[in-house]
Amino acid sequence: MIKVPLRLVVKNLLRHPVRSILTVLSLAVAVFLLCLLRSLVVSLDAGVREARSDRLIVQSAVSLFVYIPQSYDTKIRQVEGVEDVCSWTWFGGYYQEQSNFFAQFAVDSDRLLSMYPEMVLVEGSEADFLADRRGCLIGDQLASAYGFKLGDSIPIIGSLFPRTDGGTWDFQVKGIYTSTSSNVDRKTLFFHYKYLQESRDTGAASGPSNVAVFVVRLMDGARPEEVMARIDALFENGPQRVQTTTEAAFQAQFVSMVGNIPLFVSSLGGGVFLAILLAVINTMLMAAREQVQDSGIMKALGFTNLSVFLVLLLQSLLLALAGGGLGILAALGVADSIAEMIGSQFPGFAVTGETVLLAATLSIVIGLVAGLTPGLRLGRLNVAQSMRAEV
Amino acid sequence: MIELNGVCKSYTRGSETLVVLDHLDLHVDRKSFCALMGPSGSGKSTLLNLVGGLDHADAGTVQVAGHTLDTMTDGELARFRSEQVGFVFQGFNLIPVLTAYQNVELPLLLSPLSRKRRREHAEYALELVGLKDRLRHRPGQLSGGQEQRVAIARALVTDPALILADEPTGDLDRESADQVLTLLLRLNQELEKTILMVTHDARAAEHAGQVIQLDKGRLLEEGLETPA
Repeated sequence: MIKVPLRLVVKNLLRHPVRSILTVLSLAVAVFLLCLLRSLVVSLDAGVREARSDRLIVQSAVSLFVYIPQSYDTKIRQVEGVEDVCSWTWFGGYYQEQSNFFAQFAVDSDRLLSMYPEMVLVEGSEADFLADRRGCLIGDQLASAYGFKLGDSIPIIGSLFPRTDGGTWDFQVKGIYTSTSSNVDRKTLFFHYKYLQESRDTGAASGPSNVAVFVVRLMDGARPEEVMARIDALFENGPQRVQTTTEAAFQAQFVSMVGNIPLFVSSLGGGVFLAILLAVINTMLMAAREQVQDSGIMKALGFTNLSVFLVLLLQSLLLALAGGGLGILAALGVADSIAEMIGSQFPGFAVTGETVLLAATLSIVIGLVAGLTPGLRLGRLNVAQSMRAEV
Repeated sequence: MIELNGVCKSYTRGSETLVVLDHLDLHVDRKSFCALMGPSGSGKSTLLNLVGGLDHADAGTVQVAGHTLDTMTDGELARFRSEQVGFVFQGFNLIPVLTAYQNVELPLLLSPLSRKRRREHAEYALELVGLKDRLRHRPGQLSGGQEQRVAIARALVTDPALILADEPTGDLDRESADQVLTLLLRLNQELEKTILMVTHDARAAEHAGQVIQLDKGRLLEEGLETPA
């Protein structure tokens, strides 16, 4: 049976407490950063990952920023395989000041909740929402971020659709929703497209006419590729050509819009990982050099080469686990605050269990790799030489 | 207890081969106290390392306490050391981060003894060397003589048949050296430990019942019986 003096493992770590603490702290910072960076990538990919396969998005073939006629709704609805259609139009306003940014969409309000079964009302009702022309639905995270309650009026200053009297758009909170999927942002405000349309038509507001996109729900058994081809073919000759994509492809478009962030962030994370690995290897090499004679003593007393190797490897693992554990705890501790700060840009930001597991695994890998070479070196040393520290 | 036949050991440094032990034969009886003397480089410490299973001979056979060390694997040698041999070194070789008690307890971790029994054994060994009041002291907080006595306690805590001492008084003043030698003598006479002690010091060798002289890897004389 392999015997490892665990007391010696701990005492050796405390031999240079400042060095051990600094190594643990640098590991903690690295793991903390890795957790947050990965959480960013995960939140970016969440929309793609959790996109529904029975929904398609129809947008202008030119660009997402070119609006398409609202009248397309009727034609799309008649395409074989289409169950329902709901328009979404980006409103782009802000609450009180520009830094208070959150997403607002004008939608076909009577179809929104049936189109998105993952949206669940936790307060208010769809009927109240539909009954009030200025009614709106807001996400539970938006409500808690700004303290909005059912029945409150939310004044929004329109940037893309300013009111001609210079005033604000006042939306009445008729429902608060949550979401069972990170595919639907919980910090968004939805209001009636008809209200926007009427305001434009009556001259109460200005801004682009038409709608940004149509969300299409497929009938059961309909093949998405075929329906997409049919919709695109329908408007091949204009007046505005469209491009139909799956919901996943549409979400992926947003990720690519901000550049290849996943690759950038992954590279950054890889760099952090490599740097800290080298730092811990350096620490363990120093520790091994100091423990050459002790290893010789252990072997003279009857401990095996494997025991000596494990004493150093366990030191490395303990350092890595302490640093990794601290980093993970810190990341979990600040995750909610960060989600509050960057929730609009990175909806669904959260340090997931998968991220925690990855960080813990990386910490263990760092501990194993950093302890391996110096540990093997100590294990292989000749007893007589190491007793005299002739290395 | 110790039987060496035709033992050779040499080291290579660069292109030069240095013969340290040259066809050496040696016999040491059980329960004897034997001093191994000779000039620097005569092969004393190398001989001690071979007997302790810390190194392998190039040729010849090394038998200790009924074990033929030449054919043993590293693992078997480690077990042999933990069960049969206690080491005392010139530089004490205590682990600096452990207390006197923890240093003495260390070899017992390889035994199946319970924590309580290990404590009893370690405290008894420290009591034997007169250091029971220094249990919690680290090596850096002890004098040289005290450190060597802790090392002796560590060497005898597993109750080995053989104690190998490499210049145990080399780093000590006269008074501490006498204490250590008296202690080794007691271990030999009262606990019947076989002791093989490498020393330069003729006064130290006087404590031994048998003195062996080595020079250039060969035995010069043996069997100088001295009264303890």
